[in-house]
Amino acid sequence: MSTGAHPFLRRLARKNVLAGLMFIAIAALGLWLSRDYPLGTLRRMSTGFMPQLLCWVLMGLGALVLVQGLLERVTATATAPTLEGRENYGAVALVAASLVAFALSIETLGLIAAVVLLVLIASFAYRGLKWWETLLTALLLTGLCWAVFILGLGMSVKVLPEFN
Amino acid sequence: MELFGNLATGFGVALSLHNLGFALVGCLIGTLIGVLPGIGPIATIAMLLPLTFHLEPVSGLIMLSGIFYGAQYGGSTAAILVNLPGETSSVVTCIDGHQMARQGRAGSALAIAALASFFAGCVATGVLAALAPPLALLGQSFGAPEYFSLMVLGLVAAVVLAHGNVVKAIAMIVLGLLLGLIGTDGNTGAQRFTFGIPMLMDGLDFAVVAIGVFGVGEIVANLARRENEGDAEIAKISRLWPSAEEFRLAWPAAVRGTLLGSVLGVLPGGGATLSSFAAYVVEKRVARDPSRFGKGAVEGVAGPEAANNAGAQTSFIPMLTLGLPGNAVMAMMIGAMMIHGIQPGPQIMTERPGLFWGMIASMWIGNLMLVIINLPMIGIWVQLLKVPYRFLYLAVLLFCAIGCYTVSNSTMGVLIAALFGVLGYVFIRLDCEPAPMILGFVLGPMMENELRRAMSISAGDPMIFIERRISLVLLIATALLLLMLVLPAFRSTRKDAFQ
Repeated sequence: MSTGAHPFLRRLARKNVLAGLMFIAIAALGLWLSRDYPLGTLRRMSTGFMPQLLCWVLMGLGALVLVQGLLERVTATATAPTLEGRENYGAVALVAASLVAFALSIETLGLIAAVVLLVLIASFAYRGLKWWETLLTALLLTGLCWAVFILGLGMSVKVLPEFN
Repeated sequence: MELFGNLATGFGVALSLHNLGFALVGCLIGTLIGVLPGIGPIATIAMLLPLTFHLEPVSGLIMLSGIFYGAQYGGSTAAILVNLPGETSSVVTCIDGHQMARQGRAGSALAIAALASFFAGCVATGVLAALAPPLALLGQSFGAPEYFSLMVLGLVAAVVLAHGNVVKAIAMIVLGLLLGLIGTDGNTGAQRFTFGIPMLMDGLDFAVVAIGVFGVGEIVANLARRENEGDAEIAKISRLWPSAEEFRLAWPAAVRGTLLGSVLGVLPGGGATLSSFAAYVVEKRVARDPSRFGKGAVEGVAGPEAANNAGAQTSFIPMLTLGLPGNAVMAMMIGAMMIHGIQPGPQIMTERPGLFWGMIASMWIGNLMLVIINLPMIGIWVQLLKVPYRFLYLAVLLFCAIGCYTVSNSTMGVLIAALFGVLGYVFIRLDCEPAPMILGFVLGPMMENELRRAMSISAGDPMIFIERRISLVLLIATALLLLMLVLPAFRSTRKDAFQ
């Protein structure tokens, strides 16, 4: 979000405001998911008692954080922390994607392919890496994993894809 | 003397060749990750939890605790030599330790840090051995209402004594408690928040959540921060022995730091980081010439380093005696015990004396090992400091993935870790500390159980928490802690202490 944005939007981008909204959203989701769980009585609490109690508490706390954030005073010396500026969403997405690739490949393509995929995808999250550095890391880590987990710990996972 | 008999049992366990080996491995890994910035003991312990499956519980816990206090030693190395705190508990060591290094006194700073840590470790282990039995006895007299109130106090104290916005921290605890409820309800057998995923029926895997939030989440946060890093400049080490003058100044500071750390470590939310900050403040207060601080004062290294090690050690006390984790690492230890089917709580000491005293004895041995690992072998760790983060994060990420896969024995675990990695990043960006969430997550099912039991004892009357005297005292203490937050004087000290 740029600094030239509407004042209301800038207020909305404050960390405490966003955090408060996040807690409220999670609590609402929890309440919705647990809507059919039986509550029971205080004496014999049932499945839904704790979840719903905690969700209401979380919602209250979220509202408190939200209000705190909205009321933060901005003076010449102190600014309310906001989420302005460049966010590294790319790095987040790439790291998550590398894990997903690992998860999808380890049981089908085997350990080596999974390791190489993870390293390759995750290496794009850091722009300072040269291509040969990535390859070297992938090679070294593949060797290390094979030695530690297959040879050392006898992990039962296939190493290479099997075609049959 | 019963204590000596118990310690003898402990040393009998800890000195077996097998357990000595695991203590050494733990200390080495701890030093390693302590030296390397960007990976902390919480993520490491989470990644190694799966490995402890195959070990005896004692050996696994000995290794995991070695990682925790080993990281306190290693953290000071990076702080002194490159002005980068390897761990949050060594942030203050940077101030004077790195100044000493710039004046060509890197060797003495390292030696003072290691020796102060060793001294503190030995004393704090003694405190642990002496305090644990009476506390465990007290814990055994607790019923469900007392336990519930104790957990409330523990969780609230953990966030009041830590840094950051308290309301957010309590919200994170509640979120953790909620996550802890995922799975099959132990009392009714009904499914909660499982979305029909078979893996979630036994609940979210503790290690997977921790790896996601602390391992993956931190990698992402670091990547966002560390674009275009240069190579670190490492101070040279000339001689490894402090001068007589430095010794004279350092030892009283080490003693003060040890005492302070031993006390603060026992408190929920205490532990290494709080202790080191507090010790630095104290040293500055008692010094005759406070202006030397920030310019290479020996006391500014000895005090906090002693305190963080003492605090790390004594934070085991509430965990071992009451089953109450004061910080995220202790939550991890409880997770490790539960993996082995050990219910944490006051009964551990009487039911498993070998485990209990073996762990305590191993800490003393581990501290001795760490002095050797850190002083004569310092050269090796200096080399490691030269490994750039761009290689490190790939390795850490890979170990996170493999760790999740082995611990959950399914690819679902890796996917859940990826999800929590993204969440962890969001939490960090919104200044919501993830550590309280882990505390809540571990205590969630236990708290629900105690609450249910208390309510069925009292036939549904919540007044039971006030009518039971111990429970009332614990709740009043909780209320006082929260009230203290409103006091302007306390707020400003709290703000100063965590600057």
